[in-house]
Amino acid sequence: MEPITGKALILAASAIGAGLAMIAGIGPGIGQGYAAGKGAEGVGRQPEAQGDIVRTMLLGAAVAETTGIYGLVIALILLFANPLVRML
Amino acid sequence: MNSVRQTQITVVKALAAVVAFIGIMGFVFLKEPVPFLMGLIFGSAISALNFFQLANTLNRAVKMHPGKAQTFAVTQYFIRYIITAIVIYVSITAPYINIIGTVIGLLTIKLIIFATNLFNDKTYYKNIFKRKEDEPNGR
Repeated sequence: MEPITGKALILAASAIGAGLAMIAGIGPGIGQGYAAGKGAEGVGRQPEAQGDIVRTMLLGAAVAETTGIYGLVIALILLFANPLVRML
Repeated sequence: MNSVRQTQITVVKALAAVVAFIGIMGFVFLKEPVPFLMGLIFGSAISALNFFQLANTLNRAVKMHPGKAQTFAVTQYFIRYIITAIVIYVSITAPYINIIGTVIGLLTIKLIIFATNLFNDKTYYKNIFKRKEDEPNGR
């Protein structure tokens, strides 16, 4: 059996790390869906407030979405431009 | 013009101004500014398009049944997320696009929203230092 090299270990750990970083993408999705559902309820109850509801939801959802992008950037950098391998 | 459209235009105008400022700074201070500028323009353009798509999604979602709206919003979110993933992947693999520029372009919109809607409001700062215990309802 071949011994595990340092590079292989780093790549394996990076793949696990990328998978864990992608968990960050789920949260904004659930949150946005929940907000959209509640927004639809609010508009159903008070149709004249649609502009305010959508405006507030738009700003909140855009801010929440960037949080998912942080995780995505970390995951893709670990997979395709891993800086740790060059440190060996 | 309705308030949603007005908000979109304000945010995208501010985004263009901030990206132009960062681009000029990059042009002055970086050794190889062209890939950085390409990344910045690429990232901010996709970010602005995603913002418009988000507004369209929410405008449509609020007219639906709540359960259906939830599913619709999540589906659209993941489509936008995949588009962002493709953008980041392309900027990592292409040598003529700098990944740091792309990431800055994608995330600047958060800074813009905070700057135009939260930090320009004086009551936000007042509420930070206000003692909650002094209020009669305790909130």
